Formats: sequence, C-alpha cells, structure tokens
Amino acid sequence: MSVPGNNIIIIPDRFRDPYIFENVLSLQSRIFSEKAVLDLSRIAFMEPYSMLSFLLMGRDYMRSNGEKLKLINVPVHIQQYLTRMDFFESGVFNMPEVLKDNMMFKRNASSSRLLEITMIPNKERQGVDVISSVIALFRKRASIILKYWMNDSVTDYFVTVISELCQNIFEHSLDTGYMAMQTYRSGNENIARLVISDSGIGILKSFSSRDDLEFTGGAELIEMALTTPISSKREFGYGLCQVNSIVEKLKGVVFIRSGESSLTALYDRKDQNSKYIFHRNGLVQFNGTQISISLSA
Amino acid sequence: MIIDVAKIAKEVKVKLPDLITRPVGRMMYAATAGKLSIIGAGETVILDFNSVKVIDSSFIDEYIVKLILDSREKDFYLKLRNISPISEINIDSVFNSYSNYKETRIAVAREEMGKNNRFYIGPLAEQESDIMDYLRLNMNAGIEDISRFSGIDFNVLKILLDELSILRVIRRNNGEFSPV
Repeated sequence: MSVPGNNIIIIPDRFRDPYIFENVLSLQSRIFSEKAVLDLSRIAFMEPYSMLSFLLMGRDYMRSNGEKLKLINVPVHIQQYLTRMDFFESGVFNMPEVLKDNMMFKRNASSSRLLEITMIPNKERQGVDVISSVIALFRKRASIILKYWMNDSVTDYFVTVISELCQNIFEHSLDTGYMAMQTYRSGNENIARLVISDSGIGILKSFSSRDDLEFTGGAELIEMALTTPISSKREFGYGLCQVNSIVEKLKGVVFIRSGESSLTALYDRKDQNSKYIFHRNGLVQFNGTQISISLSA
Repeated sequence: MIIDVAKIAKEVKVKLPDLITRPVGRMMYAATAGKLSIIGAGETVILDFNSVKVIDSSFIDEYIVKLILDSREKDFYLKLRNISPISEINIDSVFNSYSNYKETRIAVAREEMGKNNRFYIGPLAEQESDIMDYLRLNMNAGIEDISRFSGIDFNVLKILLDELSILRVIRRNNGEFSPV
C-alpha cells in the first residue's frame, strides 16, 4: 500500500498537443489519491494547451488536497519556459529546485511571440478590465505573434476571438480561468495557439436547464454550442458561433474539451472534402472547459 | 443627430480602439439612450464608429440590437457610419443569427458601402437589396417607379416595401419611399 505524499509519478512526455495530453489527464485520479510528487524529467516540450491544463490540474489538486502539487526534476529549459509564461505565479505548485535568476529568459521584444498566462476572474467587472488589458497587450504584440499569418484583418479577428472566449469564463463557467497565447515551431510548421481554459462547471452542466436541446453526448452538445447561437443564460449566445466562423475563415483548428467530451474542428481540411469535425465522448473527467484555437503555416 | 461613439466611450471611461463585452455595451447603451431622449419623431440617428476597430457580438447585442429595437418603438431611424470590416462581419453574423432563430429580422442602414457591396447590414433578400440600391441612387421614388425599374410584381413589391419600412432601412413618406 502506498503512503500518500511519498509516491513519485514520472510524468510522460505528452505535452505536445491537446490529444496526447489525454495521457497526462488519465493520471490525474492517481496523482490526487496518492498525493503523488510529479517527476517532470521526461518532458522535452510543452505547448500552451497542455501547460494551461496542467496548471488547472495543479489548482484542482490544491483545492481538493489543501496543499501544493510538488514538482521535481523539472528540466532547465522547461522551467525557463514555464517561468517565462508566468506559470508559477498562480502559486499552486511546490518546486524545491528553482533556477537562479541569471538562468531565466530575458523579457525583451524579441521574446514577445506570446501572451503570458493571465487569470480571467469570474466576476464580470474585474473580468472586463482584464480582457481589456489582455487585448491591449495582444494588439502591441500581434505583429510578432501572428507574423506568419499577418494581413489587415487577422489581428482584429483575434481580438474578437479573445474577447468572446474570455467572456464565457465569467458568464458561464462560475470559476476563474486562464488564457495564454504563443507562436512556436513544431517540425516544419509554425503554430500560433490561443488557449482559454477554466475548471468551472463545464458546457454540459451549463446547459442543464435547457430541456429543449436534444443531443446524444457531450461532444454533440459542444458542436451545437459552436455552430448554433444557443445560450444557457439568454435567448441567444453568439460568442462561440462567432469564434467558429472566424476560425473557419482563417482555416484554423478549434479544439474544445469539456468534462468527458471533446470536439475538434479542422477547418484547414474542410476544402479537401474529407471529414473535418471529430467528436470524442467517454474521456477521463476533467473539470471545466478548455479551448485551443490554432493556426499553422 | 450624430452620435460620436468614440466620444461616448470616453465619457463612460472605456478605452478604444475596441468596444467589447456585454457590460461595456450596456454602459454605452445607457449613455447613448440618454442622448436620444431629445430626438424628434422620424429623425435619423447616425452612429459614427470612427476610431473604433472591433465591436464584438456581445457588444453588438447590448448596443446596436437594442438601439434598433428602440428605433422601432420610438420612431427614429438608425444609420451606421465608419464601420470597420471586422465589425461589419460581426454585426452581420449577429443579425443573421437573430433573424434565423427569432423569426423576425433585423437590419440597419449604413452610410458607406460595405464589404458586401451594400449600404446596409443584415439578412435582406436579393430583391430587397435591389430596391435599396434603387432608392440610394434615386433618393425618392413611388411604388410605380420602383416596379418599373425592378420588374417586381406590384403586389410583391408592396409587401417588400412594407417589410423594408418595418425594418426601418427605408423611409415611407406620403406614398413615396426614400433611403435612410
């Protein structure tokens, strides 16, 4: 029988995209029940969706166990990256081996291909202020973040997307959330990824009062919320629909995970006459809603 | 009356260039509605979005949609000026969703031609668009003139003109029609 707090779980190198991050999520119940220490020595790369989901996992751990999730053997480059993204500002992780300041990344203009992790409050007034600040910062950095996709309208498109998705946190999730954005290279591709995540009530529970909606599973409900102007609070909800049509115009990818379901819309494949929307139900339960919007070039 | 939207934003301490979120829409609506209390019946209100880059669907729902509904109730006409391309897309999307799911249409006149090559935003039918274009060029016309130009059956045209008048994207005055 394992002693809580002494078990070390070696976390696999599965932080490269939202799909393989499921592997890490499948360890959550063990991490929580065993109060395990996480060994991150195998991790070679971490993209923004996995990073924010991992942050939510740490926060949920602290909420359920009352203590910080302990991380050990964090590779130097991962620690540098996470510090650069303000990952540790949330204060939910305990990391005994901290790098010295002189080993951290400098914050200069050339390293501004990102928006650091920002907490989106669940109160309307504060939420609006934070969204306004995030968008002001995004406008300053957009020409670098979206360098490979730049045209007259792409910045304005993303202002709409950030605004709509961040509002959903204080409008529907009943919890605080996080957002981050980054352009990074994966193989031969440049990827710009915007991630907005919370660990609130999730889409299924948010629509629980809408008896009139007919759907077969969580993923089908996510698709309905993405493609039709339904709302859990009002007569209509335009936000997600608007995000969907913008991502379609930009030929990007939408990934939404909520509870035990996910949906992927590959608008970069839509013109190829192949299937481009994929549903998954029966995933490991992970609280809240996590959304990734990606462009690749 | 011309409403300088950027000036109202400044009054309610909202930073430009973007007007986003429902709370901001509600604040802006309250400030704008206050100014509209003095307008006369049938007056045109121009909402000038100069210096505004993005308005999102939440803002549109709380601000423009409410002002359109007010214009029907309080008898004034609304017209948009200096709408950015992304704002046009967002407005069009909200109006289309509203019209599809509420079974009653909304549309609004605009001063400049948009990316849709039209002087309005909203889900109007092709024949309705033709009528709008004709009135834009001729400024004032009776139903016979419009029928002669468009070739639309007189009775159908009558219904279309009624619809456009209810949408308040054209004016009806003593049997004549004119653009807003």
